Amino acid sequence: MMTALLVEALQALLTLALAPGLIGLVRFLKARLQGRRGAPLWQPYRDLRRMLRQEVVLSTDASWLFRAAPFVVFGSVLVVSLLVPLIAAPLPFDEVGDLVVVVYLLLLGTFVLSLAGLDPGSAFGGMGSSREMTIAALAEPTIALAIFGLGVRAGSTNLGRIVARTLASPAETLGPGHLLAFAALFIVMLAETGRLPVDNPATHLELTMIHEAMLLEYSGRYLALLEWASAMKFLIFQALLANLFVPWGVAVSLSPRALLVALGALVLKLAALGAGVALLETRLAKLRLFRVPELLSVSFLLALLAITASFVMR
Amino acid sequence: MSPALFSQLCALGSSLVLITGIAILWRHSLAVYIDYFARQSFVFVLVILGVAAYAGEAELYLVAAMVFLFKVMLIPRILRRVRRHVGVDIEVRPYVNVPASVALAGLLTLIAYAVTRPVVEISGLPTRAGIPLALAVVFVGLLIVVSRRSALAQIVGFLVLENGIALLAILATYGVPLIVELGAFLDVLLGFLVMQVFVYRIRETFDTIDVDRLSGLRH
Amino acid sequence: MLLVALLLLPLAAAVPALVAPRYHPSIAATSAAASGAAFLAALGLARANLRGGVPSIGPEEFLRADGLSAVLALVVSGVACVSLWFGAGYLERVRDHGGLDDARLRRFYVLTNLFVATMLLAVTANNVGVMWVAVEGTTIATAFLIGLEHSKAALEASWKYILIGSIGIALAFVGTVLGYFDFVQRVGEAPHALHWTVLARLSPGLNGDVLRLAFVFILVGYGTKAGLAPMHTWLPDAHSEAPAPISAMMSGSLLVVALYAVARWKVVVDAGVGPGYAGRMLILFGLASLVLAAVLLIRQSSYKRMLAYSSVEHIGLMCLGLGLGPLGTLAALLHMIGHAASKSLAFLASGNLLEAYGSPRIASVRGVLGVLPWTGALFLVAALALLGLPPFGLFVSEVMLVRAGFLAGRPWLMGAVLALLVAIFLSFLGHLHRMLFGIPPADVRPGERRPLGLLPLGFNVAVLLALGLVVPEPLLRLLRLAAGVLRP
Repeated sequence: MMTALLVEALQALLTLALAPGLIGLVRFLKARLQGRRGAPLWQPYRDLRRMLRQEVVLSTDASWLFRAAPFVVFGSVLVVSLLVPLIAAPLPFDEVGDLVVVVYLLLLGTFVLSLAGLDPGSAFGGMGSSREMTIAALAEPTIALAIFGLGVRAGSTNLGRIVARTLASPAETLGPGHLLAFAALFIVMLAETGRLPVDNPATHLELTMIHEAMLLEYSGRYLALLEWASAMKFLIFQALLANLFVPWGVAVSLSPRALLVALGALVLKLAALGAGVALLETRLAKLRLFRVPELLSVSFLLALLAITASFVMR
Repeated sequence: MSPALFSQLCALGSSLVLITGIAILWRHSLAVYIDYFARQSFVFVLVILGVAAYAGEAELYLVAAMVFLFKVMLIPRILRRVRRHVGVDIEVRPYVNVPASVALAGLLTLIAYAVTRPVVEISGLPTRAGIPLALAVVFVGLLIVVSRRSALAQIVGFLVLENGIALLAILATYGVPLIVELGAFLDVLLGFLVMQVFVYRIRETFDTIDVDRLSGLRH
Repeated sequence: MLLVALLLLPLAAAVPALVAPRYHPSIAATSAAASGAAFLAALGLARANLRGGVPSIGPEEFLRADGLSAVLALVVSGVACVSLWFGAGYLERVRDHGGLDDARLRRFYVLTNLFVATMLLAVTANNVGVMWVAVEGTTIATAFLIGLEHSKAALEASWKYILIGSIGIALAFVGTVLGYFDFVQRVGEAPHALHWTVLARLSPGLNGDVLRLAFVFILVGYGTKAGLAPMHTWLPDAHSEAPAPISAMMSGSLLVVALYAVARWKVVVDAGVGPGYAGRMLILFGLASLVLAAVLLIRQSSYKRMLAYSSVEHIGLMCLGLGLGPLGTLAALLHMIGHAASKSLAFLASGNLLEAYGSPRIASVRGVLGVLPWTGALFLVAALALLGLPPFGLFVSEVMLVRAGFLAGRPWLMGAVLALLVAIFLSFLGHLHRMLFGIPPADVRPGERRPLGLLPLGFNVAVLLALGLVVPEPLLRLLRLAAGVLRP
């Protein structure tokens, strides 16, 4: 029991520690693919350290919500990192780590951030919030459906158990239900974490920013928390994608050896997925905003097909 | 190859055929419609080859060759030539917008599953998992015909529908008797050739291939 | 031999049209003669059936002409012969007026002969897959025929026709595949599994649910080609824009060939799941067609479209008949012959009307009996026949149909049918009266353009009177045989 709790804490620490590095890797690879030299991998850590020491400037119209939001967002993501199977499954908090809890914790963060974007009354913030809400509304059902599709096989929506079940019967990974769910979740990941072609994380132009618009009024340690939270969300989504669909390496027992293997496997999978995202971002152009619902409806359909396929193939 | 693995691969292939069909509903560019049809036919050829190898039906190799020759190479090439001549690039304002079309496609897939339940139940073949998907492709083809304005898109929809029927025949009975298969193929090819001639004529006469303009004859 | 002749004759007639560098009246003459010879061949097949044998050739009876096939072959070749004979002169006059050029006239004869040949193949093929291929072949052959006179309306009509027709046929193929699947699953891989004789014989062993599903696809698919509502949307456009001989052939024979395909499958389904299911579905679609025709007929402003909707009505009646048991089936078959004769008569006469008045609109056509006395009289006969009046054949078949309905225990349905028929009667009669009587427009030249060209239409009148007054004994026996084929 004690080891289990330690492992949970380890997962949270890992998320905290690795997230900026993952973002740094993606940015570095993108730069290289675009023919630039690129900042080193640990640049995001430097940025975080700088931001934590900077002065906070608040709008006079900002309320307590504006100041509380970064903590809520950061906290929710941190709790989620305790609940998802990053390096080991199943874990004690997994009982609470049901799909529904995870999805709604993430949604809580999105919701609070959207409110915070509206709070200071700036035009960009409101615009970003409304766009973000549109995308979130379209993406949430897909996440639920896709993981339901996976859960049908495992007989439970508990993420840990899904991972364990997939480990037990590897032939299923080739099945259409599995692959369709992966495709659906991948598209949703791009939408939720604000990557191309849904949102450009590197832009601050009015026409193109969504997530950045909501962060525009923040500075100093608040901004640091929000950027960190965004990086952690990205890492969690990537880790989920990796572990739900390619679960080999996840520790089923809590022995140090298994955990070390799991850690190595996680790093490898994250690097691979990160490289994939970098490649995709280099190739794709951002979609016009009114085309995003079209993309998300396709991902919804893929999730629906995944569920049907899973049900029929049972 | 074990039956279970073959069954998975067939299901996977059929899903890809369905998805390429649905992708047509998602996009707006007519050139992409033709491309996706060609890709769908290619995946279909792979499925036929898989079934041919597993079931040992020599006739299916011939069928695969014909599908490859006509639906992957020849027909898309003719379609591209027609598109260039007609000069239409995108499907503007379809009768049913994209998210609605995609949602409808999902609904039609569920209906296909419901409708083919008796068929899947009595089938003893390892390919039976793909049968509902094949019927779904038929419905998606029908949806493309009904919801798109451009005559060229309607032809693509018809071809997708035919792909679905051919896939159904392969998955349900490892193909119908060769003479019927060849006859059906010939009919589809001739039908397509006739339709593309009509697209040229429509363009000449009406100056557009938007079938909404072809509404002189009302009740 | 007879079967082979039946199919090869029209194909042979297509050759001169194909190779000739320029149109010559002999092309038309060979086509008409070939159809006439085909009609004689069909008579021979009918006689063979009446003698008790079923002519067939090929492995496991690849081509087979039982009573039902013989009746349909007679209808197809008869309508073709009359249409081509009349059409010979008519189309030459259209060409002289500038509506057609030499190349298109030749194309007409090539395609029409192919059209006839594919229809005959469809009704004599034992293999339901080959039957399907032939029906699809008719779609392709007729697609260019509808748009022969290059007008905007004709192009629109042909586009709708080929698109909707091909989709319908494709759905019929789904049904065929499902039927084949059912057979192979339950009975096993058998040679000639798609032969109708084999299917009908072994049908009781098939899975009912799959058969029902297959029949839905078959009915919707072939029903599209037959002009059943709600899949009929191509029909008014196609039949009204096509040149008169083609409209006559399409309304008179193509629609019933598609219905024949449904009827063949009905036998298989009845043997497998009992007669109630298919019958109910046929009644449903037949009634829908009747209702639709009744509602839309009155709004028509073009006489050819009016005739086209009348075709929907009559196909609906035939479909109803097929669903009402043995007497209903007999009525439907009798109706097939009567409708073929009267509808082709009507369309061919309307060709003359179009030529003389230059307009397809009812409002522009007045005083036909004064301007074109013979054509007018023939058109009147056709219209009265289509309205179901005695002494023409359709009266007899409609009475038989209603009786069949009461016998089958559906009095309310028959009441509805009668009401709809009365509604159609009234609207049709109104249009007819306005067309035939009254003062003709000043710019119309009175007098028949070519009285001799109307000669073949006398055959239609003779058939209608024969069916109405006293059905010849051999024909009645043949019809009974054909109905017997369709009995479960």
